[in-house]
Amino acid sequence: MKVKVVSHILEANDRIAEENRRLFDKFGVYVINLMSAPGAGKTSLIENTIKEISGKIKIGVIEGDIAGSDDAKRIKSLNIPVVQINTGGACHLDANMIREVIDGFPLKGLDLLIIENVGNLVCPAEFRVGENIKVMLLSITEGDDKPLKYPLMFQESSALVLNKIDLLPYTNVNIEKIKKNSQALNPKLKIFEVSCRTGEGLNKWIKWLQSLIK
Amino acid sequence: MHELSIAQSLLDIAVKNCKQNGYKRIESIKVKIGKASGIMPDALLFAFDAVKIGSIAEKASLNIEEIPVSGYCECCKKNFTVDEAFIISCPMCGNISIKIESGRELHIEEIDVF
Repeated sequence: MKVKVVSHILEANDRIAEENRRLFDKFGVYVINLMSAPGAGKTSLIENTIKEISGKIKIGVIEGDIAGSDDAKRIKSLNIPVVQINTGGACHLDANMIREVIDGFPLKGLDLLIIENVGNLVCPAEFRVGENIKVMLLSITEGDDKPLKYPLMFQESSALVLNKIDLLPYTNVNIEKIKKNSQALNPKLKIFEVSCRTGEGLNKWIKWLQSLIK
Repeated sequence: MHELSIAQSLLDIAVKNCKQNGYKRIESIKVKIGKASGIMPDALLFAFDAVKIGSIAEKASLNIEEIPVSGYCECCKKNFTVDEAFIISCPMCGNISIKIESGRELHIEEIDVF
């Protein structure tokens, strides 16, 4: 006996993501799903963002890692509400993992929630967690071939933050090639060139972020 | 290995539909996977064999239909279908004004139940 099903395989995840999103909307919290390869500087970008705007905008952070709580400790030292999710091997965060931690999270009064996904250029792009937008980070030392090697994440993101531009003189990377191919994959992609180490370029990122929230 | 999450999700949907229709066992599951969906069919088959154990789909086979990437070029005013998983420009004229119409599918189509 054949039964027609015709449903999206990730419908369960998408349904929970919608529920998460409704909860975020209810509390007026803007949510960013921040994705990159391991070591690109996600936590550093969050730290810099907090230092720049936490006086004006109330920020909360959810940290996703396979194991450990080093990232959460870094954020906590800045007096920001933070919760660590350990996926225990899973290569991405999904909507249910977020649902499980937001019950006890102080959403009230927050303006911005940054969800730092597990470091991975592939899987996180597939799973919605209830975010308003996805932002991806690429450190220039990862190479200018990444947009065409990992196109989905570039297509799914609203903004691309190119980090570690202070290292440009020491590499052969062609930053124009990164920008050209990223925008060919996603013409609406906003691109920011920053160095979380020196602070260069962060003002444009911060300004854009503020324009989304207010 | 997000194929494992995908395999678990498709098994959950199939089991739910099988039970809702009053059947006890799943013989096969048919899915459509777009070439640009980021899912590797071999990895999905491997993951499905792992998650089905102990379920009413324990003996079920997973039949994957791969959907190629196709789209429409605003410049050529024509449809195209390609073998690649990702393209950034029209395969005919090279223009980037293209609309991708298929290739991102991740659908469960049909289950065979007893």
